[in-house]
Amino acid sequence: MESGLGLTIVVFLPLVSAIFIFLIPKKQEMLIKLVTLGSALLTFGVSLIVALQFDFNNAGDLQLGTKVSWISSINSNYEIGIDGISLPLLLLSTFISVLAIIYSFEHLPEPKNAKGMMSLILILETGMNGTFVALDLILFFVFFELVLLPMYFMIGIWGDKTVRSVSGLKNDIETRLYASIKFFVFTLFGSAFMLLGFLGLYFRGNRTFSIPELIELGSSGAFTGTFASLVFAVLFLGFAVKVPMWPLHTWLPDAHTAAPTVGSVLLAAILLKLGSYGFVRIALPILPEQAVAWAPAIAVLSAIGIIYGSLACLAQTDLKRLIAFSSVGHMGFVMLGISSLTSIGINAAMIGMVAHGIITGLLFFVSGSMAHTYHTRDMGRLGGNMKLLPKTGAILAFTAMASLGLPGLAGFWGEFMALLGAYNPLPGLNITIFRSSMVAGAIGTVLTAGYLLWMLQRVNLGEPKEEWLDKELHDADNYELVAWIPLVILTVLIGVFPKLIFGATNDAVIALVSKAFGG
Amino acid sequence: MFEGSYVIDKFSLILKGLFILVTYLTFLLSVNFVESDEYYQGEYYFLLLSSLLGALVVTSSRDLLTMFIGIELASTPMFLLSGWKKGDQKSNEGSIKFFLLGVLSASLILYGFSLLYGVTGKLVFSDIANILIQQDLAQSPVALLSAILILAGIGFKISIVPFHSWAPDTYEGAPLPVTAYLSVSSKATGFVALIILMSKIFFESGDGLGIILVFISGITMFVGNLSALQQTNPVRLLAYSSIAQAGFILAPIAVANITNNFEDGVYASVTYLIIYAFMNIGAFLVINLLQRNIDSENMYDWGGLAKETPLAGIFAVIFFFSLAGIPPLGGWFAKFVVFRSLLSTGEIFGLSLAIVGAINAVIGLVYYSRISKIIWMDSPKEDVQKTENSIIPSPLKVVGFVSLILTIVSGIFPGIFSNLGEASSIFFNS
Repeated sequence: MESGLGLTIVVFLPLVSAIFIFLIPKKQEMLIKLVTLGSALLTFGVSLIVALQFDFNNAGDLQLGTKVSWISSINSNYEIGIDGISLPLLLLSTFISVLAIIYSFEHLPEPKNAKGMMSLILILETGMNGTFVALDLILFFVFFELVLLPMYFMIGIWGDKTVRSVSGLKNDIETRLYASIKFFVFTLFGSAFMLLGFLGLYFRGNRTFSIPELIELGSSGAFTGTFASLVFAVLFLGFAVKVPMWPLHTWLPDAHTAAPTVGSVLLAAILLKLGSYGFVRIALPILPEQAVAWAPAIAVLSAIGIIYGSLACLAQTDLKRLIAFSSVGHMGFVMLGISSLTSIGINAAMIGMVAHGIITGLLFFVSGSMAHTYHTRDMGRLGGNMKLLPKTGAILAFTAMASLGLPGLAGFWGEFMALLGAYNPLPGLNITIFRSSMVAGAIGTVLTAGYLLWMLQRVNLGEPKEEWLDKELHDADNYELVAWIPLVILTVLIGVFPKLIFGATNDAVIALVSKAFGG
Repeated sequence: MFEGSYVIDKFSLILKGLFILVTYLTFLLSVNFVESDEYYQGEYYFLLLSSLLGALVVTSSRDLLTMFIGIELASTPMFLLSGWKKGDQKSNEGSIKFFLLGVLSASLILYGFSLLYGVTGKLVFSDIANILIQQDLAQSPVALLSAILILAGIGFKISIVPFHSWAPDTYEGAPLPVTAYLSVSSKATGFVALIILMSKIFFESGDGLGIILVFISGITMFVGNLSALQQTNPVRLLAYSSIAQAGFILAPIAVANITNNFEDGVYASVTYLIIYAFMNIGAFLVINLLQRNIDSENMYDWGGLAKETPLAGIFAVIFFFSLAGIPPLGGWFAKFVVFRSLLSTGEIFGLSLAIVGAINAVIGLVYYSRISKIIWMDSPKEDVQKTENSIIPSPLKVVGFVSLILTIVSGIFPGIFSNLGEASSIFFNS
């Protein structure tokens, strides 16, 4: 696997398969599904091989990559590679994609069209994998944006068809149409400015788009003053919309609620990580001085996000919307960890990202499946789920426990260590702000426990409502269980052996922090 | 050739190639259209070819007379072609408007040229520029006035604000292939003329002209995009979109006038022009294909149409999102090189224009996504009359696939445009 071949396959195999699927007639649905699954499994397999070849003793170095000229006129290259920070996210992405495809075998919402859905998932996977391995700003940008179109169509075509009124619009509009364009416009707004920031770095940084080279320049203090503040501001805008950080989060609840199950899962599990990954990979190491200047602001916004997300959850009646707002809170912990600029905090962010991907992905699987079974997401009408759908209910209960950060499960480490990081941020940062943020975060964990337990009480426990008693409700089938069980196992494994993640990330994070902030 | 008044270099050859290919695609678009009605086939093709000849002359012209003849040869046939649907009132109206404003613009250009000739007594651009600089006239009111007159005249051809008002009406009335040609080839001819004039004569004209151009460019983007948001007629939507795109193409030249970095500016504008040409032809093709299924002037009647013509549906996604500048489709690189040239010197006008451009890219997305949304996500309207000719004729398929391949390849391997950078530096230094 010299010359970046493995990573190149991981990135482009899904795209090539998607083009191949376009050529298969629509009627051969089974063939389409099998080709998609085969391609995703192969991609996952290759990513495992890449992980085996990865030298964990030098996890701080970029490995297994390559650099080939791409757009010579602007000195942009096809430069890829992975280190301990990107490897876990890459594996998460290839793995969740497989599960999403398995789930879609039998659970396509109207208007079915397996061909369209499968090719969109594959194109999406190329965008996600590409973002995690790209080491050139322009390449990163292209992959970062490549996910927009498939997700837009996934929400817009297979999304929720209920009609709702939106303030500011004259006519009522279907949720999916509103949510899809809102998602698209918000993210494009952020990334259009992000691109200007990339160009700024290019012109001040010896006309290179190479991330490693820019990191060298950045850590030697090449970017300073107003220029660097402006660049950090636009990068912040681009990444923070994607994370999403309060107050740029408003697209997220709409998109999650409207998206079909698979869309929500991929959105929550991977797409949100593109933003926080961007902070760790690009914004912090290239502009360390500005990162220090902005860190308190990020910490405060994260703390607001945590509290706001939890309070919003308490007010929800819609199951999927509740989980969507819980994402705002959980990503708040991730960003709080990042803002501390310490190795503990950023490690917390890394494991938090993976854990959130697994746990919230699973929550969306389960809630999507329940919405499909019950034809409603209204928690006021649900109840007694444990009696009606015992398997689904059990997994929902387990996942909710994981999501509230129960020790021994994956969600615990990210929250706990993020608070630890915020307690002791990088020397020189305003300690009062960070400790207040930590306190806010701690209150947030309590609120998180509160709304998740309340959700369980309303949905899972109690006696079933009368309207469900005479209906035939199907519990989780085999496709669903195959997609879900691995996530349950991973949640436990990472909870018990967090070294699975830290083993990869720790060295890389320490290298990053010491290079950027000398700590 | 001809004492420096007609030059054939790499730059002009690339542009000639573009014009010939675009005209060829227009022919393919026209075949079914012209045959389907009582049109004068021979004259139709003759006039298009005449216009092509004019465009080819413009790319190589380096003196005032040749340039003027080229510009007018390219645009005069279009007055006739835009009124080709003789029985249609809208077509007549659009054609008359186009004609009157076209003649006005020709006279403005000519007036500007005559001022230059009067001041310098020369026709060839390099001589004019030399004399302007030697006699310290480059920043004189006369030079500025002639530049503004020329800009106004060419402004009509490239439909920048405030000279854009004819475009939506003419585009709507003209036969669709003619509209496609107008919005691509005619516009490109005007831009090539503007690029040559700005960079060969007015490169020393000081910041004043550049600042005017920067403002025009920004306002053009806003007016085009905000008006496009409100359209229900797909052709008018594309008309306003092409006004907004003109703002983007103008931006690098505008800033180059301030920073004097014409090499980057010309490279960016021409790259944008080339990519824009193919995705815009593709967009008109999409409208043509959809209108073959449901003949309506209101795009909201096309609900759910992609299920019946998936190919047209895929074309719609590719071309319209490319116009919006979404990677990995070609349009992103076009926007990218424009942003790059705007930011290259870190100068405040460039920066402001880049921010305006970024905001406009987002506004553009809202209406560019609309047709895809209608045909893929909306449910079919019940009271709409469907026509029977749902089979896509092969000439149209060729247009679609050629534009599709060019649009996608230019987005994934933008390296193919490196040649152009070299060509523009040869162009500027010769």
